[in-house]
Amino acid sequence: MRIRVGAAVRLVLVCAALLGGCATTPVQPWERGRLARWDMRWDPDPLQTAMREHTHFSKEGTNGEIGAAGGGCGCN
Amino acid sequence: MRNSLSRLPSVFVMFAACACAAAHAAVETVVGNPAPAFELPVFGSESRHVALESLRGKVVLLDFWASWCGPCRESFPLYDKLRGELPAQDFALLAINLDEMADGPAAFLYEHPVGYTSLADPAGDVARKFGLIGMPTSFVIDRDGIVRSRHTGFKPQDIDTVRGEIRELIAGSTAGRQADAH
Repeated sequence: MRIRVGAAVRLVLVCAALLGGCATTPVQPWERGRLARWDMRWDPDPLQTAMREHTHFSKEGTNGEIGAAGGGCGCN
Repeated sequence: MRNSLSRLPSVFVMFAACACAAAHAAVETVVGNPAPAFELPVFGSESRHVALESLRGKVVLLDFWASWCGPCRESFPLYDKLRGELPAQDFALLAINLDEMADGPAAFLYEHPVGYTSLADPAGDVARKFGLIGMPTSFVIDRDGIVRSRHTGFKPQDIDTVRGEIRELIAGSTAGRQADAH
């Protein structure tokens, strides 16, 4: 029984340590200036991304990395 | 064991309900109560300070904004027009900028020049006192310094609601003062 209590205490401590890593201070509405910057976007330049994807798809289409696989003929 | 597991969802719902109620209470405490007092420097002229207390006796529209906030671009010209429509002896418009750095708001004010004063609160101390939950947020404060309403976010059609509230407060308090005088 003593071993079980010790194991439970250890389990609780490990869980507390792991959950502690999830602790965070919420970002206040007025603190979102940096998050609102264009270079913080997932896709900061949609036009450049579209051009890059078009080139990649034309050259590497056979492996189907972006969307459906194609012939790789460069004719898209 | 099974019995206690079956109670877990209800316990979770109870905690969630308590958390929601607490958040709602925190948001609503400002409305209906005296506006938190503050004194802040004027943006671009840090030697000048303005206190909310100095506007007592006027209906005040207090607008919290930031240069990166999209709806603020829409609100600025409409608020400036509203300020021109209403008598200066009864109404004051005060803006509080919440940018952490000064270059953003300086460029914003150059692009959207307005006739009302913006104060600087880069640490967000006053915003915290007013319990902001979104940007922009404006508060309508009556002549006695009581917060009468809160408007979170901004759409162009919101200006009519704000105008109506302010006009009502001005008309109501003017009638009250005239009645006191007689």
